[in-house]
Amino acid sequence: MLQVENLYAGYGSSEVLTGTTLQVKRGSVVALIGANGAGKTTTMRAISGMIRPTQGRVLLDGKPVQGASASQIAKLGLAHSPEGRKVFGPLSVEDNLLLGAYAHLPLFFGYKGKAATELAKVYALFPRLNERKKQAAGTLSGGEQQMLAIGRALMANPKVILLDEPSMGLAPVIVQEVFSIICKLKEAGVTLLLVEQFAKSALEIADYAYVMERGRIAVEGTPAELNQNERVIAAYLG
Amino acid sequence: MNLDILAQMVVSGALMGLIYALIAYGFQLTYATSKSINFGQGELVMLSAFFSLTLLNLGAPYWLMVPGGLLFGAVMGLIVERACVRLSLEQKSEGWILLTIIFGLLGFSSAENIWGRDDRPFPSPISADALNFFGISITGLEIAVALGVFLIMSIIELFKRKTLLGKAFEAVSADRDAAELMGISATKTIMLSYGLSGMVAAMAGILISPITTVGPTMASALILKAFSVAVVAGLDSGFGVVIIGIFLGALESLTSFYLGSGWREAPGLILLIMALAVRPNGVFGKANIRKV
Repeated sequence: MLQVENLYAGYGSSEVLTGTTLQVKRGSVVALIGANGAGKTTTMRAISGMIRPTQGRVLLDGKPVQGASASQIAKLGLAHSPEGRKVFGPLSVEDNLLLGAYAHLPLFFGYKGKAATELAKVYALFPRLNERKKQAAGTLSGGEQQMLAIGRALMANPKVILLDEPSMGLAPVIVQEVFSIICKLKEAGVTLLLVEQFAKSALEIADYAYVMERGRIAVEGTPAELNQNERVIAAYLG
Repeated sequence: MNLDILAQMVVSGALMGLIYALIAYGFQLTYATSKSINFGQGELVMLSAFFSLTLLNLGAPYWLMVPGGLLFGAVMGLIVERACVRLSLEQKSEGWILLTIIFGLLGFSSAENIWGRDDRPFPSPISADALNFFGISITGLEIAVALGVFLIMSIIELFKRKTLLGKAFEAVSADRDAAELMGISATKTIMLSYGLSGMVAAMAGILISPITTVGPTMASALILKAFSVAVVAGLDSGFGVVIIGIFLGALESLTSFYLGSGWREAPGLILLIMALAVRPNGVFGKANIRKV
């Protein structure tokens, strides 16, 4: 579903990704783990078009999308829930969700009716969002904002979701809740690329995992294989 | 002190202040999406007024002149965006400041060459006769200004709150990167904001021309005060510009009445300096606190 081939990208003259290659199969959950500064978030940003890769290819459903703008790639069916959640603070929870489906909705009127099915699905998954749908997103707690960011990504019915550090800055109880939601998404057959610092929890959910070091993939394998790998255990699971 | 005269001064000043508020609102529209403003906005006001006057002289009826003038303003706004703003925003440079000033100068000399330097009357179907409200006289033209300002601002605010495109506009203002990830093109949203801003400028020109006459310099004083209003209220203050606009308009008219008309421009400039020194985000602006 999503293939990344030999990707190079960075900020200005500093190159962060130096030949990243990975693959996310349809309906699978793939974890991307690694130390801070290894290039996990940069990989996500290069895939979704927030930064332009300088070399390499990104294939979505077999079609190359590298070099396109973030909004074009989003329309092609890739949803990226970015690091730090980035909900639209002044807008209501419901408006945030509706904007998640922006590419598929009429621009002026009747958009709410057309999004009703998706909206109901997201509210069923996150009852808390339903309770607070009129509230400004910026006033939600960190955990609720994370639910909103995930819900917003689901609204477009994307082919792949990139989920960047969903547990960042959250209390342990909320982190548990976030992981249980990712489990539910997995059961529902959502294709997911997950960046996580809680490597252990990520490996419990994932079907396959990549370990990043200094801008490229150092180790890859199924969670069972990585759990046996001494280098991975020493660095990330110890 | 005669209270009747005081009230009269405050009311007519406040009505004039609504025009400042409307032009300041045009600054806000583009600042929200792109953190840039058109420093040639005054020339847009003036060019649209001339264009509308030409439509009238060509025999167009009033109901056609207004949308025609607004459309002209919107197109000019789009030209400013494409010619002066887009590339410098892409390169994260401040080049738009100089380019929009140059665009204004170009508009000014074009107007002098096309329409001449003289001020011309702008005919209006609305009577200039004064009506009396509780001892305060207000002309029909002034009422038209107030109605026009509130009408166009309400339409744009309704658009922003009720349509998905309007919500996308707000989303780009709140977080440009995140909006792009939803499939919202920031470039197109910025175009939209410049188009709307140009339309607002044209509306200001059409509303004020019957009172002030039309000429190449008609907007040079207006724009300075609109800029003061935008900064004093805060470039992201929404309807705050209306309050500050009314306040400044009233203050100006009192100043020129009690201190002499030479002091007319002083309050706007003093307010601007005070705001920049004491409260750079504006009276109604939000402080820049970023929650991580």
